[in-house]
Amino acid sequence: MGRVLLVGRLAVRDLGRRRIEAALLLLAIMAATTTLTLGLVLRDAAGDPYQRTREATNGPDVVASVGQPAGRSGLEDLAGAPGVTDHGGPYPVTPAELQASGRTSDVQAVGRDPAPAPVDQPELIGGSWVSDGGVVVEAAFAKALGLRVGDPVTLDGRSFEVVGVAVTAAMPPYPGASCMVRAGCISGATPDDLADPELPAGLLHNPGLVWLTQADVRSLGDPDSLSYVMNLKLADPDAAQAFVDANLPESPDAPRLASWKNILQEATELAGDTQILLLIGAWLLGLLAVASLTVLVGGRMADQTRRVGLLKAVGGTPSLVAAVLLAEYVLVATVAAVAGLAVGSLTAPLLTESGAGLIGSAGTPSMTMSTAGLVTAVALGVAVVATFVPAVRAARTSTVTALADAARPPRRTGWLIAISARLPVPLLLALRVAARRPRRVVLAVVSIAITVSGIFVALVLNAYLTTQPLAGGYAHAQVELLRQVLLVVMVILLSLAAVNAVFITWATVLDNRHASALARALGATPRDVSAALAAAQVLPALAGAILGAFPGGLALFAAINAITGGDSDRATLSSLWQRLAVVLATVLVVAALTAVPARLGGRRPVTETLQAELA
Amino acid sequence: MQQEVVLAMLAKEPSHGYQLRARLRGALGPLGDAMNAGQVYVTLTRLERAGLVAVERSADGAERSDRKVYALTPNGQQRVAEWIAEVRWPRPDLPEFHLKLIAAAAAGLADPLTIVNTQRRELLRRLRAAQRAAMAEPEGSEAVLLLEGIVLRLQADLRWLEACEQSWTHRRSGS
Amino acid sequence: MSTAAATSVLGARGLRKEYGKGEGLVRAVDGVELDIGAGETVAVMGPSGCGKSTLLHLLGGLDRPSGGAVSLNGRRIDDLGEKALARMRRTTVGFVFQAFHLMEELTAVENVELPALLAGRSPRTARRRAQELLEQVGLADRARFLPSALSGGQRQRVAIARALSNQPLVVLADEPTGNLDSAATLDVLRLFERLHASGQTLVIVTHDARVAATSDRMISMRDGAFVDETRLSGGTSGQLGALVGLEE
Repeated sequence: MGRVLLVGRLAVRDLGRRRIEAALLLLAIMAATTTLTLGLVLRDAAGDPYQRTREATNGPDVVASVGQPAGRSGLEDLAGAPGVTDHGGPYPVTPAELQASGRTSDVQAVGRDPAPAPVDQPELIGGSWVSDGGVVVEAAFAKALGLRVGDPVTLDGRSFEVVGVAVTAAMPPYPGASCMVRAGCISGATPDDLADPELPAGLLHNPGLVWLTQADVRSLGDPDSLSYVMNLKLADPDAAQAFVDANLPESPDAPRLASWKNILQEATELAGDTQILLLIGAWLLGLLAVASLTVLVGGRMADQTRRVGLLKAVGGTPSLVAAVLLAEYVLVATVAAVAGLAVGSLTAPLLTESGAGLIGSAGTPSMTMSTAGLVTAVALGVAVVATFVPAVRAARTSTVTALADAARPPRRTGWLIAISARLPVPLLLALRVAARRPRRVVLAVVSIAITVSGIFVALVLNAYLTTQPLAGGYAHAQVELLRQVLLVVMVILLSLAAVNAVFITWATVLDNRHASALARALGATPRDVSAALAAAQVLPALAGAILGAFPGGLALFAAINAITGGDSDRATLSSLWQRLAVVLATVLVVAALTAVPARLGGRRPVTETLQAELA
Repeated sequence: MQQEVVLAMLAKEPSHGYQLRARLRGALGPLGDAMNAGQVYVTLTRLERAGLVAVERSADGAERSDRKVYALTPNGQQRVAEWIAEVRWPRPDLPEFHLKLIAAAAAGLADPLTIVNTQRRELLRRLRAAQRAAMAEPEGSEAVLLLEGIVLRLQADLRWLEACEQSWTHRRSGS
Repeated sequence: MSTAAATSVLGARGLRKEYGKGEGLVRAVDGVELDIGAGETVAVMGPSGCGKSTLLHLLGGLDRPSGGAVSLNGRRIDDLGEKALARMRRTTVGFVFQAFHLMEELTAVENVELPALLAGRSPRTARRRAQELLEQVGLADRARFLPSALSGGQRQRVAIARALSNQPLVVLADEPTGNLDSAATLDVLRLFERLHASGQTLVIVTHDARVAATSDRMISMRDGAFVDETRLSGGTSGQLGALVGLEE
């Protein structure tokens, strides 16, 4: 027990001494944990408005519809099926074309009674309920078309007036739609798709939802081809899917059913896609955090091993040193996990669409044990993976060896040294600088590769969203939200990568103080040395960028498609020129970032360094 | 006890025998404890016989040695001046050199630093000669060992002379 | 510059180096005048902290003086830019340090060829010269050894070989035997004697009398200034026995 307390005390004190480093670590891991939390809780947060709408409108557990009048009896049979406690309808539905102030859109018009229905009574957020000559518009559809109470509209040429705007839980908000009409509906189509001659005639394109009186609907539509929809309430709402499965349509005329959970899925589809983006981002950030930590840990272990002598007084050994280091990082990771969980759940509502089609704004989701557990596990996992190798190595070193060793001696790569002799001076020095710490070079390459893969995927997704605005059935505002999320994740990724690059450069400069001073004493100019320190970063960055833009990005994209079951055909991958542009941009940015530390490293006073350091 | 040391002690002013003894013991510190009480007087008598020292009339005309007042004769003064300028370095006689410096400073005979530097130069030349001889010796020669020993001892002496120089510089700037 | 300095390889006039300000002002080098002729070996001796290392750094262009002038081969170097100083160091000056300062991850021959590579020589030329130099210092059989596999004396000899890599005008050595035991010191001194015999100009800073004894001229330094100078060459001849006081 005493040792644990000791380790804890030493860890806290050490962290207190290196505040900037601890803060950077915290931010790195927190970026990953926050993004992960956001991803995990987003759907829950988005589901709140739907739940509230469901309660306010007494939303149905199952929605059943038939394409033509002949199937109406099938619906009525369902009303008496076991497990059904209440029903509303069947209501007639007809397709129509709505025109309002120059805008045209297909709609599904549902006929309703002026009196409140027992199941699914849409909640008015403006105006009044259906009356003859009046149309009530679904709230998200009204917002998309800019319709307000009192506006005149025409349906199939006949004049109506907008008497109300309402929300319902029986159908996902516009532009999502459940298709009730026989002619069929198509959502999220591009103009090219719509021009396809193979499409059946009469297909509704991105239909909105409106309510009329039953009489109006019958007069609008062709009585022989009216569709019907019925809302069912079950004794056990959770059995809705089982009910749907038990009553699958056996003929084209039989009712098609959808459970309220399906509708919820569709209503939160945007949140679902946003969630995927965030989870991908979290993954990338997590990997990047591991890379950052590993660089830091590597440098710290060398430093710490020298202080073993001090710890010996309290019965310390290299394994104690390793334990303290591990404790420090675990501490930082735990704080990062908690902070990430807090920030993530508080900001999740901001990312869900402040819904037009549903009641109220998204609420703060309750933290489930599994979410908290997963995020903490990830944070600790990052810390442990980064610390593992050095900690194990330290634990196995005997105290005597640790005291006798100077700092980690540089590695010797004979063939690199031989090659470097043939190169001009800055490259000669750069290659030798890199060769001294091969692991750090690998980390630099990996960091950049991860970042560039992320950029590649982001560019593809962004292009997809921009060129196909109604892709996936999204309205413009929703596409904007997705693009914003993409942008935020990319910015965080790039920031972390930038910090990483500066960090690694600084670590390299410090590591090479003696070598730089010596090279200058032997006749290398400060510019040679600065160029070498910068090139030692830029060359790995080039390699990483190429890796990321070519194989890396493709692999990541394929992985995403595999995970989400997405359709990769519709996305155009970046052209060769775009990828080369990304590579070039990366190299320039890294060069800019490393310029300052490299320049400072090349100009340190030679005599001080040589006198301070021993061979 | 080197005769010249006692002579130099008298260079500042004539003194009684016991005064001389006291000054010597003060300068030599613990090393002075080994000094035989009567040795100073024996040396004084010898010097008197050699004509380098003379007894001044004592106030009460006493005949006892310890009450006599001794002073340098002109011959004695010359001998002192020669001794000060000498750079002999017999088997290292540190007390003698140490006292030489003190006497020179006390009597204003010469700047101790000059004495030190002159001696250093001499020792350096000897060191150089011995070292070159050692390096010129063929491999496996026995003489190399002896020469190395001489080199090392000269090196030690030179270090001491450096210390003397430092100490006397401070004394001068301090006083 | 006076005519006496016409053949001087390395010269200093009124050389000063100060740190700090006002009350905290430290004069590391305080008005040094120096002329070193071609082929001379000059030793600067003094207690630690007297500024001799600083003086050496100033003479070799590793540090900038606060005042005064340093000239190498007749050209002033104290007003050169960093780039020009670096180029000057490549060809004019060779450094030997107390702590050896070899690159730990390079073999002996790779260490020795480094200055030549930095000066732009072809790898083959540099390697050949390095091997020659290692032979001169008697370490040809250790060319492929890493510094960690060499003794202190051997490391310093590699460092001396390195300093000679670009055939410098002057070799500046800062406490070259400071970290060496007696036997290794003798090896290094032998090397210095050989360099001296081949006409190399050598400036050695040391507090070891044995090293100073190999020089032609020995300068004493105290508190940043020269206080004494001794000509050692052409010194006492005659019977060695008398010199070392064997007859008593």
